[in-house]
Amino acid sequence: MTQLVKGTLQTIFLTVLSAALYVCLFDLNTWIFSSFQHKEGISWVFLPAGFRVILVILLGMSGALGLVLGSWFIARDTLGGSGEMLVLLNGLVSGLTPWVVYKYLRMRRWVSEKLQTLTTRQLLNITLIFSATSAIAHQLLWLLMDHPHANPWVDVWPMFFGNVTGSLLMLYSLKFMLDRVPVPSQN
Amino acid sequence: MEKITSPKSPFTTAYLRFLQLARVIQALPEGLEMDANELALLQAVVLRWHENSPMTVREAIALATLGSPATLHKRITRLREKEMLSTLNLEGDRRAKFLIPTPRTLDYFDHLGQSMQAANQNLQA
Repeated sequence: MTQLVKGTLQTIFLTVLSAALYVCLFDLNTWIFSSFQHKEGISWVFLPAGFRVILVILLGMSGALGLVLGSWFIARDTLGGSGEMLVLLNGLVSGLTPWVVYKYLRMRRWVSEKLQTLTTRQLLNITLIFSATSAIAHQLLWLLMDHPHANPWVDVWPMFFGNVTGSLLMLYSLKFMLDRVPVPSQN
Repeated sequence: MEKITSPKSPFTTAYLRFLQLARVIQALPEGLEMDANELALLQAVVLRWHENSPMTVREAIALATLGSPATLHKRITRLREKEMLSTLNLEGDRRAKFLIPTPRTLDYFDHLGQSMQAANQNLQA
């Protein structure tokens, strides 16, 4: 098997795995935090937002595409009644916004290519930036596409807050696990 | 040279990035970090414990070089809340409260010792 085919298959596998994990996490979030829902599609705690951070940083475009696929799958049920175009664009915004932001941060050299100089402060800043841009992009899209009951000036805040709390919960859950499972040292 | 710069597979790249990200995630603040003053007090207390002569609370709040008694008392309370210090009463003398390190403190100093050893090895390499 040539390197190219092997690499392509691995990329497809990572993309599909990202999509599947994103959908599972979305369902888990709906199940656990249903009482924290502000309105349909907006929760005060949104765990998949943390997954966006991790996937885009780890896998780059493969992770972003996985998020797009996962979002499309989820939006079939939640936004299906609002038209296919909204479902399509919602998925693109969900997956590509963090990727575009990350590319921009890389271009400005705020984040190193191989993460060798990534610090906790930078990771938390990335989390905040992803949360804000994702909330703004979703609300703008919903406004432009006449999503029913869209109220961007109000809804952007719970969405941003949900992204932040979800991301932090995810990162600290991962920290909790990593503290108990030995990870090979870089030194 | 070609081997060194050859492109890595997506799995390899993802795993190597995961190692870097894991390092950063593990260093996320827990709200239990000590400031320099707390660390200085902890070191003084643990040194005495290491010399088999644990410090009493009374002795600790009298360490004038580290602060006033009221300040040091608050600092001891904070270190106890962070589970870096615990107190021990000796049999027959309920008045004297000795300050002793917790397992968390010993882990902390163990980690510092390992880091120092790693840094030393890196210097020698």
